[in-house]
Amino acid sequence: MLTPLLVAATVIVAATTTDLRDLVAAVGGDRVSVESLTEPRADPHAREIHPRQLARLRAAQVLVRIGLDHESWLPRALRAARATPRDLDASRGIALLDTETARLSADRRPHVHAFGNTHYWLDPENARPITALIVDALAAVDSAGRGVFVANRERFLRDLDARLARWRRALRPYAGTRVVVAHDTWPYFARRFDLTIVATVEEQPGVPPSPRHLGALIAQMKTSGVRAILAEPGAPTAVLARVAAETGARVITLVPSVGADPEATDYLALFDVNVRRLADALAR
Amino acid sequence: MTWDLLLLPLLACLVLTGIHAYLGLHVLARGVIFVDLALAQVAALGMTAALLAGHAPESNAAYAWALGFTVLGALLFALTRENTTRTPKDRPAPRNDVTRDREDRPATRNDVSRDREDRPGESGARNRWGGLGGAAGAPQLHQEAIIGIVYAVAAAVTVLVLDRVAQGGEQIKQLLVGSLLGVTRDDVVRLAGLYALVGALHWLCRRPLLSLSLGDDVRGARAWDFVFYLTFGLVVTSSVRIAGVLLVFSYLIVPAVIGTWLADTIARRLAIGWTVGVVASVAGLGASFVWDLPAGATVVAVFGALLALVAFARALARLVTRMRRDGRRALAGVGVGIGVVIALAGLALAALPHADHLWLDALERGIPRIQLAFLSDRERRVDAEARAAIAHGTGELAKLRALAADVRWGHRDLPAEERERLRQFLAGRDELVAGDRLVLATLRARARERQRFVLGLPLAVAGAVVALASLRGVRH
Repeated sequence: MLTPLLVAATVIVAATTTDLRDLVAAVGGDRVSVESLTEPRADPHAREIHPRQLARLRAAQVLVRIGLDHESWLPRALRAARATPRDLDASRGIALLDTETARLSADRRPHVHAFGNTHYWLDPENARPITALIVDALAAVDSAGRGVFVANRERFLRDLDARLARWRRALRPYAGTRVVVAHDTWPYFARRFDLTIVATVEEQPGVPPSPRHLGALIAQMKTSGVRAILAEPGAPTAVLARVAAETGARVITLVPSVGADPEATDYLALFDVNVRRLADALAR
Repeated sequence: MTWDLLLLPLLACLVLTGIHAYLGLHVLARGVIFVDLALAQVAALGMTAALLAGHAPESNAAYAWALGFTVLGALLFALTRENTTRTPKDRPAPRNDVTRDREDRPATRNDVSRDREDRPGESGARNRWGGLGGAAGAPQLHQEAIIGIVYAVAAAVTVLVLDRVAQGGEQIKQLLVGSLLGVTRDDVVRLAGLYALVGALHWLCRRPLLSLSLGDDVRGARAWDFVFYLTFGLVVTSSVRIAGVLLVFSYLIVPAVIGTWLADTIARRLAIGWTVGVVASVAGLGASFVWDLPAGATVVAVFGALLALVAFARALARLVTRMRRDGRRALAGVGVGIGVVIALAGLALAALPHADHLWLDALERGIPRIQLAFLSDRERRVDAEARAAIAHGTGELAKLRALAADVRWGHRDLPAEERERLRQFLAGRDELVAGDRLVLATLRARARERQRFVLGLPLAVAGAVVALASLRGVRH
């Protein structure tokens, strides 16, 4: 931002989450100004639109979003802001998980995500396709910046690769560990670090589990010796504490998004924190 | 095996029944139905303020904040009751007011002469006409209005504050939702102790507290009001933490309403209320186990069902009394109602055959011939095949799912490629079964198209005949 010319060249981006915001910032560097439309603490499914979000959406040249059915509030916000930014659905480059309960579900199990599990940013490998899409989207608005974007992305991926090797080393001793999850947030993370998710405590967030579900879960955890419950800050503490007390398992609170915990300051720090917490808890 | 999971929740429910059925009688008599929601929300606001002050949600400091806000809320309600519904009595000559009002509005005469002066409804009505001039003539309000405002503002401010704190928003939400299955032994012991104390206090001070709630004159009414709202707020905020607002509201109001319907004295109403609470707790938790449902919501639904059952029984009893007096003419109104419903159902089937006709779905499930009669031989064959395929498919799915679960839990070993094959096979089977369900839905739509006039119009006519015949019974 040394001269007015450079300021004028800044691409204004709105990302729907703090995780995408960080990936855009990593690729865009000085040539973009990016903000997240949501706080990581807020409930992604029921949200009221803030005036600031509308202003941001209206100003944005590029909108980067998780896609699928993650941002149910977004169409309303776009209409309200009368904004038509260039749209980047980051899920386009992702091999999705949990897609088999999609169109027709023969058994009426509750499932939150109709098009596949949306928490794909929790696999650090997925940063590769996402940032590739981001480079294209930014370059479409700022073609002179493409070289910078590509170079920034490569630098980011080098850092990512180095850390990924470290993370995998830290979690290698626990490969194949069976874990129970509070909500359906962790399939991508678990697959990357070779954890096996055996069951979900609260299949529909906000709907408490039935006594029978909970009873079967506790019995299974005891016989299989499952010792870890992965939770996020919004998980139902009382029920998890009950399950933990009955089974002797440990509740490990991981961070699902950048900024959801003070330690998770950016996208790579998010995995630093999660891997460290997981390794510490599983080592005990 | 898992029944013991329900032991603590059941104990918690029984503890809730004990105090809430009693406090509910007060709340009902005072006409402040939603005061528990408002106080719970005020406590949640206190908890949120504690977060803003830098305390952890589970800390003692946060609990103290919540308690402090509850005291303030109790004070507010005690004061506003004084200001909204008591002032007419404090005034030197309330009689004049009433008589003037009688002249103005003959319609309210009955209310005024029958009831005590300090009823909130009346004073509101009276003073709406009393002009706005001066303190004595200030317009009076229902206390429900104040309670509603406190609820809305506390909830909104909670949202505003939560927007500013980084940690703990979810805990606040859980504070209002509760978690019956997550209740611990310490929770139950603490609640039982606290409620025993509150119950003892209410027993010792039963005369002033009950008289006050029933609208009688009490010396030091303001102080007793404060005592009531304070103990009430204490109970509600503690209950909501484990049971959530919906369940607490049900424990408070439903037993009291049923007790008030069925008995006249406080003691009998309380006995009935306790019975209702115990029955709903046991039946609700049992149902939630048998039918695999969330516990808290099931208990609330059972409360609703119990209330409906009692209301139905009361209506039936009244009908029987009327029949004894008037003979069959008493049934005319019911006949008109049933006739109109049948006629409307028939008309709806004729007009919108593809809409959801739940009654017909249920009938066809019980008596499949109602649908099969409207299908051709070939269609009937397809129907039978699809049903067999669904039965076979769901059986197989259940077996394969159990296998997949066994693999996940580590009871059985399967190589990675076999696991993937199993996953794909499950997904495919799932779609096949869903496809067969679609076949059934298509056949049903075809049957509906044919049932439309053959079934719909006669039903409409029959219903109309029943209704008209009954209507003549009413007139005679």
